[in-house]
Amino acid sequence: MTNARTRVNIEFAATGVILLIVALLPLAVSNDYWLGVLIVSMYFAMCASAWNVLAGYAGQFSLAPAAFAMIGAYTTGLLAYHSGAPPWIGILAAVVVSSLIGLVLGRIVLRLSGPYLALTTLAFAEIMRAVISNSINITRGDLGLEVPGILQSRLGWYFLFLAVLTLVQAGFYFLLRARAGLYLQAIRDDEIGAASRGVEVVFWKTIAFALSSGVCGLAGALYGHFAHFVSPELGLISQTGLVIIMVVIGGMGTLAGPLIGAFLVYASSEMLRDVGGWQLVVFALLVILFARFFSEGLWGFVRRLGLPRNHRALVAGSGAERKG
Amino acid sequence: MACLSIRSVVKRFGGLTAVDKASFEIENGELVGLIGPNGSGKTTLLNILSGHLVPDAGEVLLDGAPIAGLKPQRLAERGVLRMFQLTRVFRRMNVVDNLLVAGCALGLTQAAARTRAEQLLADMRLTHVAHLDAGNLSGGQSKLLEFASCFMVPPRIALLDEPFAAVHPTMKEIMAEFVRTHHQAGQTFLLVSHDMPVVLELCPRTVCMNAGAVIADETTRTVLSDPAVIEAYLGGAAA
Amino acid sequence: MTTLIIDLAVTGLITGLFYALMAVGLSLIFGILRIVNFAHGEFYMVGAYAYTLISLVLGVPVWLALPSAFLVGAILGWATERTLMRPLYAGYTSWGLMRDEYAVIVTFGLSLLLINLVDKIIGPYAMRGPSLVSFSRMHIGPVFMSGDRLVAALIALAIIVAVSLFIRYSFWGKQIRAVAQNRLGASLAGIDTARASSLVFALAGALAALSGALLSPVINATPDVGIFPAIKSYVIVVLGGMGSIPGSIVASLMLGVLESFGAVYLSYQYRDTFGLVLLILFLLFRPQGLFGEKGREV
Repeated sequence: MTNARTRVNIEFAATGVILLIVALLPLAVSNDYWLGVLIVSMYFAMCASAWNVLAGYAGQFSLAPAAFAMIGAYTTGLLAYHSGAPPWIGILAAVVVSSLIGLVLGRIVLRLSGPYLALTTLAFAEIMRAVISNSINITRGDLGLEVPGILQSRLGWYFLFLAVLTLVQAGFYFLLRARAGLYLQAIRDDEIGAASRGVEVVFWKTIAFALSSGVCGLAGALYGHFAHFVSPELGLISQTGLVIIMVVIGGMGTLAGPLIGAFLVYASSEMLRDVGGWQLVVFALLVILFARFFSEGLWGFVRRLGLPRNHRALVAGSGAERKG
Repeated sequence: MACLSIRSVVKRFGGLTAVDKASFEIENGELVGLIGPNGSGKTTLLNILSGHLVPDAGEVLLDGAPIAGLKPQRLAERGVLRMFQLTRVFRRMNVVDNLLVAGCALGLTQAAARTRAEQLLADMRLTHVAHLDAGNLSGGQSKLLEFASCFMVPPRIALLDEPFAAVHPTMKEIMAEFVRTHHQAGQTFLLVSHDMPVVLELCPRTVCMNAGAVIADETTRTVLSDPAVIEAYLGGAAA
Repeated sequence: MTTLIIDLAVTGLITGLFYALMAVGLSLIFGILRIVNFAHGEFYMVGAYAYTLISLVLGVPVWLALPSAFLVGAILGWATERTLMRPLYAGYTSWGLMRDEYAVIVTFGLSLLLINLVDKIIGPYAMRGPSLVSFSRMHIGPVFMSGDRLVAALIALAIIVAVSLFIRYSFWGKQIRAVAQNRLGASLAGIDTARASSLVFALAGALAALSGALLSPVINATPDVGIFPAIKSYVIVVLGGMGSIPGSIVASLMLGVLESFGAVYLSYQYRDTFGLVLLILFLLFRPQGLFGEKGREV
């Protein structure tokens, strides 16, 4: 009997293939600019993956992922700026701080769902951004902070990001193929039903929030050191919007979807930048179309293409088409 | 010691007393029916037993230990499993996963849960739709799925809320057969239903509620011919 | 001192009036469809651009451009409802997203679409909408005020009153309220619920567009000009109670006054966060807001 476990195994295999391709890309791409584009794509891929676990699997539609990336970036940035802490400590602290704040936010929104949850996380994100922007004495506000780098070569950064992304994806894979994956999806589909069956709803929701924000914080911290700079712009709602676009287009609730979405949206965004740049319009349209007609995103297309007709029903998973 | 003891349970909503000092006991291995006209408080009582509502007064004891007010998760852990009247399944997960959630949440490993799920699916004649998302099942199939979810780990007591309502006779028979067989093997049930023939056939004993109070608690045949019960259904002593 | 307080109060109330235009529409949408329209700010933005472009580029006098913007907003709202919102109630459940997710994603996507479309077609540079009247500062009692702002506020007030009366007493207003209370029941009673939903969205779009148009001389039109007002309106509908028109109006005025006084007496920097904090507090402790009905499925 195929079920979610089989599905996530297939998705992880696909993830592996994608990461392998990314690992080999430097053979074809050697100029620093494009390596940089790919690195930023990997930053988004981490945020997208994290948000996907929270929203796609656990069903908590948070509008705060960019805010947590900003929190992570500023944790490491402030530690470096004010106390000269080495980047590794800063990054570790970033993960801890964002996870803790994420945990608190998760507890706060426990009884909320749907648009109320979205609004509360939105308010939280904007408050965080306002606090960082206005604490000029500590954070230099909108001017941003200079942050020390870690590595000299761009290629080094490339593989550092890739390594972290791979670890993050592997971590999520192990989480989601275990019972946790089942519980999160059950919570998403019917919280009351899940509780009645014995699922610890509070615990898993909180974990989902903490994990998701921790990974976003990690991504933000890494990005801060890469860009040698952090600013409140990291936490703009439009950045969250990008993450959401990436996940919806790639395929929400799938392991490989966020990766596909992140690389596709960001890299093509850059590639088309010179040619007129209507890509954001196209992506926004795709989001609407996918939400309306095909919520499985691009990963859904890929999966269906790869299967013989009579086996398509076998891989029913999040959002299989209804008959009639 | 009785499996489940309900003692003078009271529940009010504003000015309305939905459950009015309800008391009865369910012994181990009993299959007890719970009937009553609409508004009699059956579902409210069931919600109290499954942890979805907290009673205003009275006690509920499971094997002698008080359980009133415990959360549904805690009650599920203790073996009080409940089937809902408005089917609650995980629509975007497939049938197998729906069952796995129920099994794993109560301590089974994924492997053990799979085996058990296979067995239950065969019992429920759902094996041919095992791969479908629960949201794509027909109404009757969803009901069977939810029914089966209660039995991934044999419960201490299964609370069935109108399992036969608006269900195809074939599926009704599947569930009835399951209840019959497992009752003979010692499973304890509380069955809420409007379907008198089935209640008569399955339940040796029935409790009848009206207007929040227990008005009859005897062998099913006696209860069904009790004038007070007939009166409650036909009107007169209105809720 | 008293002059300052009166001045702050008046400024706050006037700002509140403009907020109310946005909030009433959002509240109506929530009342009838139980969703938060995340593209609401973009209706505002489209209104600001429509007004500005129609009068500056087409040379239309401002007193015609204003209702034109209102109309453009109505059309946009109506089109949004017809194309995107149908699945929410037409019994169409064959996509893999739940209702709430769908609503958030689709309206969010629409928001991004509109922002980027305008950015590409019209350009990212701010455009200043033409003033409604030519006289600038004037005295109203002890308070100085810009004539433009005053006229805009009066228009906003008139429209709000008109909408309230419409919802309360008109035939379609009652139909809308019926659908908001009980969709199934209303359709059984013969009410065209689809029409009611379209009407509500059209009205909401029109009101938001009007708000954008009225404020465009001061808050110039840019593609993302609507994000800020949108967030304000989310705060207001939560505070006032989702689905309650009087609630939205009261909460709008309250927020306007709170921000006005808060900026001076509490913190100028954080003047925009007062509302956000209130939003979180209300959602946690009083989700039905000031006037909303309790027991709504949150």
